[in-house]
Amino acid sequence: MKAGRFVLAAVLFLGFALAQKTITLKAWTIGPDDPSITRLKNLEAAVERLNALLAIEGADFRVKLEGDFDTTDWDPYLRRVLLAFQSGEAPDIVQASAAPLIGVWATAGYIAPLTAETSRYGTFKDVFPSLWNAVTFKGEVFGVPQDTEARPLYFNKTLLKKLGWSDAKINELPKRIERGEFTWDDMLAVAKEALDKGVIERGKGYYHRPKNGPDFHMWYRAFGGTSYDEATGKLVFDQEAALRYFTWLKKAVDAGVLERDRLDGNWSRFHQNVTDGKVLFFSGGTWNWAEWKTQWVKDKGGEDWLWENFGFAPQPAYKKGGKPITLSNPQAYMVSTGSKQKALAAKLLAFVMMPDLDARHAVGSGHLPVLRATASLTGDRFIREVSYLLNYTTFAPQHPDFPKWQDALYRGVSAVESGQVSPEEAVKVVAAEMKRALKDQVMIK
Amino acid sequence: MRRYLTPFLFLSPATLLILLFFFTPVVATILLSFTDLSTTTFQNPSWVGLKNYQDLLADPFLKKIFLNTAKYVALTLAFNVGMGLLLALLTSLVPERYGDPFRALWLLPRILPPVVYVFIWQGLLAEAPMGLVSDLLGVSKNWLVAAPWTAVILANGFVGASFGMLIFTSAIRAIPRELFYAAAVDGATTWQTVRKVVLPLLAWPILFVTAYQTLSLLTSFEYILLLTDGGPGFYTTEVWSLRAYHLALSNYFGNVEFGLGAAMAAVLVVIGVVVSLFYLKIFNFKALVSEPKIEVY
Repeated sequence: MKAGRFVLAAVLFLGFALAQKTITLKAWTIGPDDPSITRLKNLEAAVERLNALLAIEGADFRVKLEGDFDTTDWDPYLRRVLLAFQSGEAPDIVQASAAPLIGVWATAGYIAPLTAETSRYGTFKDVFPSLWNAVTFKGEVFGVPQDTEARPLYFNKTLLKKLGWSDAKINELPKRIERGEFTWDDMLAVAKEALDKGVIERGKGYYHRPKNGPDFHMWYRAFGGTSYDEATGKLVFDQEAALRYFTWLKKAVDAGVLERDRLDGNWSRFHQNVTDGKVLFFSGGTWNWAEWKTQWVKDKGGEDWLWENFGFAPQPAYKKGGKPITLSNPQAYMVSTGSKQKALAAKLLAFVMMPDLDARHAVGSGHLPVLRATASLTGDRFIREVSYLLNYTTFAPQHPDFPKWQDALYRGVSAVESGQVSPEEAVKVVAAEMKRALKDQVMIK
Repeated sequence: MRRYLTPFLFLSPATLLILLFFFTPVVATILLSFTDLSTTTFQNPSWVGLKNYQDLLADPFLKKIFLNTAKYVALTLAFNVGMGLLLALLTSLVPERYGDPFRALWLLPRILPPVVYVFIWQGLLAEAPMGLVSDLLGVSKNWLVAAPWTAVILANGFVGASFGMLIFTSAIRAIPRELFYAAAVDGATTWQTVRKVVLPLLAWPILFVTAYQTLSLLTSFEYILLLTDGGPGFYTTEVWSLRAYHLALSNYFGNVEFGLGAAMAAVLVVIGVVVSLFYLKIFNFKALVSEPKIEVY
């Protein structure tokens, strides 16, 4: 009798198993930094949890994830995504920078609005409210915040000590920057002094990223520039602010503080010199901390070495009493318009919005959490101490033509730094390029 | 009718391939160049006529990019053809057992995948202690940034020279031995043999290699893309085809301009045609392919 029941149960189980469908969702994610692999791993964990719930509910299907994590670079990744959108082969879920890509892709009709879905699931309610602005375009939510970050000005404490700074003075530096007492010009003066006294090599007083990216927009704003006019919805190029920024760059290059060939496109060289302890001030991202910890200073003592040698602060103001700045470029999961499983993809994203997964990504990758509950979960010192930078954060404008604005500004920076044109000429070059590329979508002030 | 059938049958496969892979892309590129196709307008592009071409003319950096292109093509071509010829002559003057391995060595850059090849160049040109050039010169510099044009021309040139080397070597080997014997009997030195016998008979291969390499260099950008991406600094090594690529397919946040990029590519097609006609004219193509006045049996 017992054997008969067992056989019956086995047949029923087998029958259910055979009747059960598997729905495959495809997701493309990118670091490009290795530690950000949790952008994919968290989706995989969410699938497991979703399937567990489906089993309890007795649903006749399960979800399978075909995920991809890209560690090459943004340019090839975005090209791949774009070509996939255009050929109708896009994955169900795409992760990318929220601003301005949501504006670009929503205008093109490649990503689906998620306003209804984000109101339906409770897990989305714990997202920091300001982050919804970054994923909203023309009143509709087009993405789910995945992480955010800040872009600090790091400084090398050991080199400052060699220059004669006391521990108290070094520890006070972030506060002085916050109060607007330590400006870009002050930083230049300190770096020049370090160079003159032989504390640093030529060109290693200040490092910025070696290729195009959102940071140049941040520095332009640090020098008083605005990039978007809310009233007209148009982009703005402030020539005076740009001239201040470009002039500072020229002064830094001429003083031997900044390398003339800083825009060499070589991230490895950036990280190598920084973690060799050769660079006095350097602008980076919070995620760099995780990269340095796990890849660059692992043999020197890992994070302890970083705490001993590096400090961080917001990017300084350009004038005394001014407000410092940083920039957040939140990442978002988006659902493609071509997906046949939009509702399921959105449900999966609701399962990623869990504090433990958010914490795992934040701690592992050096990004900042998107959920309010996460902060209490993680005891990570870096996350705790760096999060105040979000008080000074800004976002890129959600304008579909902002990439062209950014490219034009970057051309100006590269022209000045390489010594090919004067700051005044560079401002004219950028204004001309913006007028050509953006037509009536930019206001030149 | 039957007399046209055989030539038609022989020519039709090549004609079909040319139509499919050469003619159609050119027509598609020209059509695209009359639209405002971009990331945001991909699903609803508009016909904008000559607007993209007007935009190009209004581009303040176009002159710099054009001059960069001329510089890149002229210098790399001179290296490719000159070095190819030199290698072919030198390896033909020595016994085959020495010449053949040497030629095989020069083929290595061509058979390496471009990414690996460029990776090696980046390593060679890095700062000390990693960079071999810095070590040898005793000056630690990132040479790729300090001398980007030299790097771009040499990296391209080492690949391109092997092409000329192979063509010229086979052409030299096709020269009847009797001509060399006659020159030797007349007491000609090696240099005189090269100048009076070999070089005049290489006119056709030189035209072919020069024309082919010019067109190839005008449109190729992969080594520049991988080495400098048009930098360092302000459009330092940005050439026409790379600019077209950047406009049409590469933009940091993805809002690319296919229409404008296609307009740049269409202009390149016109430049290519003009350059080809110029070469045919100065090398007197008609005379080169005409029936020989004397046949030697």
